[in-house]
Amino acid sequence: MSAVLVVLLPALPFLAAVLALSVGRAAPRLVAPTVITGTALAWLAALGLLAGDISSGGANVSVAGPVVPTGGPRLGIDLHLDGLAAVVSFMVTTVALAVQVYSTGYLRHDGHARPGPRYPSYAALVAVFTAAMLLVVVADDLFVLIVGWEVMGACSYFLIGHHWEEEGARAAAVKAFVMTRIGDVGLLFGVFALGVGAGSFGIRDVTAAVLSGRMAASTLTAGGLLLLLGVVGKSAQFPLHSWLPDAMAGPTPVSALIHAATMVAAGVYLVARMDEVFLASSTTLVALALVAAITMLGAALAALAQPDLKRVLAWSTVSQLAYMLAALAAGSYVAAGFHLLTHAAFKALLFLCAGAVAHTVGSTLLADMGGLRRRMPLTASVMAVGLLALAGVPPLSGGFSKEAVLGAVEEAALGHSPLPAWAGWVLLLSALATVAVTAAYTTRAWLLAFEGPEAASRAASHGVPVYPPTDPPASMAGPMLLLAVPAALLGLAGLSGSWLPSWLGRGGPGETGVFAAAVEHTLSFGWVTTVASLLLVAVGAGGTFLAWRSAGRTDPALHLGRARALLTEGFRVDEVYQVTVVAAVQALRAVPAWVDRDVIDVYVQGSARTATALGRVLRVSQLGQVQVYIGMALAGATLVGLAAVVAR
Amino acid sequence: MNAAVTVVFALLGVLAVGSALLVVTTRQVVHAALWLVVALGAVAGCYLLLRAEFVAWVQVLVYVGAVVVLLLFALMLTKAPIGVSEDLDAGLAQRVVAAMVALATGALLVTVLVDGFSGEVIDQGATGGAPAIGASVFRSWVLPFEVLSVLLLAALVGAIVLSRRDVPGAGAADSVAGGR
Amino acid sequence: MPLLLPLLVATGLFTAGLYGVLARRNAVLVLMGVELMLNAANLMLVAFGAWLADTLLAGQVLTLFVITVAAAEVGLGLAIVLMVYRQRRSIALDEMTDLHESRTAGLS
Repeated sequence: MSAVLVVLLPALPFLAAVLALSVGRAAPRLVAPTVITGTALAWLAALGLLAGDISSGGANVSVAGPVVPTGGPRLGIDLHLDGLAAVVSFMVTTVALAVQVYSTGYLRHDGHARPGPRYPSYAALVAVFTAAMLLVVVADDLFVLIVGWEVMGACSYFLIGHHWEEEGARAAAVKAFVMTRIGDVGLLFGVFALGVGAGSFGIRDVTAAVLSGRMAASTLTAGGLLLLLGVVGKSAQFPLHSWLPDAMAGPTPVSALIHAATMVAAGVYLVARMDEVFLASSTTLVALALVAAITMLGAALAALAQPDLKRVLAWSTVSQLAYMLAALAAGSYVAAGFHLLTHAAFKALLFLCAGAVAHTVGSTLLADMGGLRRRMPLTASVMAVGLLALAGVPPLSGGFSKEAVLGAVEEAALGHSPLPAWAGWVLLLSALATVAVTAAYTTRAWLLAFEGPEAASRAASHGVPVYPPTDPPASMAGPMLLLAVPAALLGLAGLSGSWLPSWLGRGGPGETGVFAAAVEHTLSFGWVTTVASLLLVAVGAGGTFLAWRSAGRTDPALHLGRARALLTEGFRVDEVYQVTVVAAVQALRAVPAWVDRDVIDVYVQGSARTATALGRVLRVSQLGQVQVYIGMALAGATLVGLAAVVAR
Repeated sequence: MNAAVTVVFALLGVLAVGSALLVVTTRQVVHAALWLVVALGAVAGCYLLLRAEFVAWVQVLVYVGAVVVLLLFALMLTKAPIGVSEDLDAGLAQRVVAAMVALATGALLVTVLVDGFSGEVIDQGATGGAPAIGASVFRSWVLPFEVLSVLLLAALVGAIVLSRRDVPGAGAADSVAGGR
Repeated sequence: MPLLLPLLVATGLFTAGLYGVLARRNAVLVLMGVELMLNAANLMLVAFGAWLADTLLAGQVLTLFVITVAAAEVGLGLAIVLMVYRQRRSIALDEMTDLHESRTAGLS
């Protein structure tokens, strides 16, 4: 029974997408029910699997598919669902369901009763996206995982470029595709290295090989670092992070999907799934920790200065993903999974709220908002839940998961994990600084969007008819309210230190590997970090509030002075890439252009000219007289016969 | 007997080839048609000597009787010149080249035939009268025979369509030619 | 009777017919050349049939078929010749060069 559910999990949204695409043109009304039904059925399947997981304390369902004859390492089309996969797939389907319902309202054109002409393909792509993510989650073979991984990349390209008539959206889509593709190359080669090293591409085979010490240390390090490159690309970590803020050009529900449940979560999920590979090599682990430390603080600082609400959320996603990777580097995949879950809930909520705001204001710029608390009371209260969770205020979900991450990092800093202690300290200091900055930017976003005076210039400069902002329709408000519940309450799952470890458990003998003693498999909350982080939240939020007051209820980021422009542009990483990578590539492209034009084309055009010249000579013989033609044909035939006679 | 047949065959062969050469070289069109009658008749005699009696009579009936008459009609309808005419042949150069090609082809054929079949002798036992041919055609060759009858019908229809002037489409051909 | 004798006669007929096809200007005379070549083939068929003493009489039956096809061919060929004559008032083959690309312009 469970095995069937595991297969159905990715299959149902995919079938729904195929169905929606095939009926989309003929019967646009059927598209929304189709994809929502497909996603809802997948949600039910995930719910069933989650129930089994919780009741039995760790799921362990395997589906063995056909084995592909490779002549090398084993490659089987296998699926496997453990506790982590069960929880994550439930999270994915929940967010996807909310997004699908929300999209029916969001893509409705003003004054139109039904969604626009692009809705069928959009809905189908979202469903495929969901299916691909679920395939990644339940894959038990690295190549099956890569299939889902790449399909997600392609879907993200199409969805970010949904408004393809806009230059920015096209550029953002290409950027997202190319940058994640750079990482994917690393992932592919990492898979090769690990698969060959382990003699199988099965994920559990690889981890078993690592645990038993069969894999050479150099293979392990190389494979781990290459996998990390793929993770960095997909989860938008430094230095391949800059596509995610630009991906805001896509529709807001897509941002919610990408940021909360799919795509970026895939990278974190991969590390959690294969954390044995990372924990076994301190080089890989230090690299992971440093990437996380740099990204979390840098992205949070960049979020502080963004003028656009969605870009604030985008940078916060980058920062929060770094939190998860920090927990993984510290050796606690439970803490990382916990934060992944809570983050999915509150970030999806935040994006849906931002979409509701953008939908009614007609812009995503913070300058066009202001004073919305009175206009949109429902949205404001739900958004407040999300922002408080993001800031990490304890009763809400983010508070608990953030404390779990900090606790895990503290353990690492104290030398209780495979991560070297110095890297643990770097991670801990960076994480604590990020706590303060996170509180600051969430406060700023709230103050600018929902408090203060209403923007006088609202919408006038955007050519949208001026009407007072209102709360969104039920199709959009419903998912928002639905997501507000987990965003608020999910943190309570961390109250008992043993619940999550059992739910996220592998449910198999893998738990008793050589790292079981070294790796903290329970959630730990350190009192020192908890108190420190609460103080830092207060400092960050209070400081921002004071800056807002002193700036005359305008953007507190004005106090940043010159640094503001630097932060707005994300530390100008893109410009660095422009100068180094892009310019170098453009300089290099002159070489093949020259080879093509001056070497290869000479032969091509030379053969063309030769043929033309020969044709001119031969044309002389074409008199148009049938008898000449017959004579030539017979003379030729005679010559051939003569040759045959003579040659004999 | 056998030697006599061979001698007669050789004479008929010389007659056939000689009149064939006259067919292709004479400068009077009507003479060409008449020499064709002689050549085809000589070939019919050859058939007789090869014991292919039915084929010989068909040759006389169809070729000499029908085809040549048809050719004469064509000559008449195209207002072929009566008497010696100089523009029946192509230019000298083309004739020389044509002769060379023809002789080369002939030489090649002779080479191959002499090489392959010199010394072989035809046994005079086999006969080919009308009863034998009829039995063979309607027993072993009936399917090609029927197909051939369809072909003949198609050719008949085609010839009628081509030569009628009041058929739709013929006018179109005229107008194309007129536009030249 | 030696087999070579009818074969050589057929070769002579074929060569003469080929010369006629290649060297004549008048389309009807060209058709006569074609008839000579067909007869050469027929003679060979009959000769080989007699030599092989074929019980199916393949040589003679095929000759009959060829005669039939030749009759059809002559009928159609002459119809075409008449049509050409009607349109051009001439059946000289070297004047029919419409297959030839125009030397002056792209269109003829």
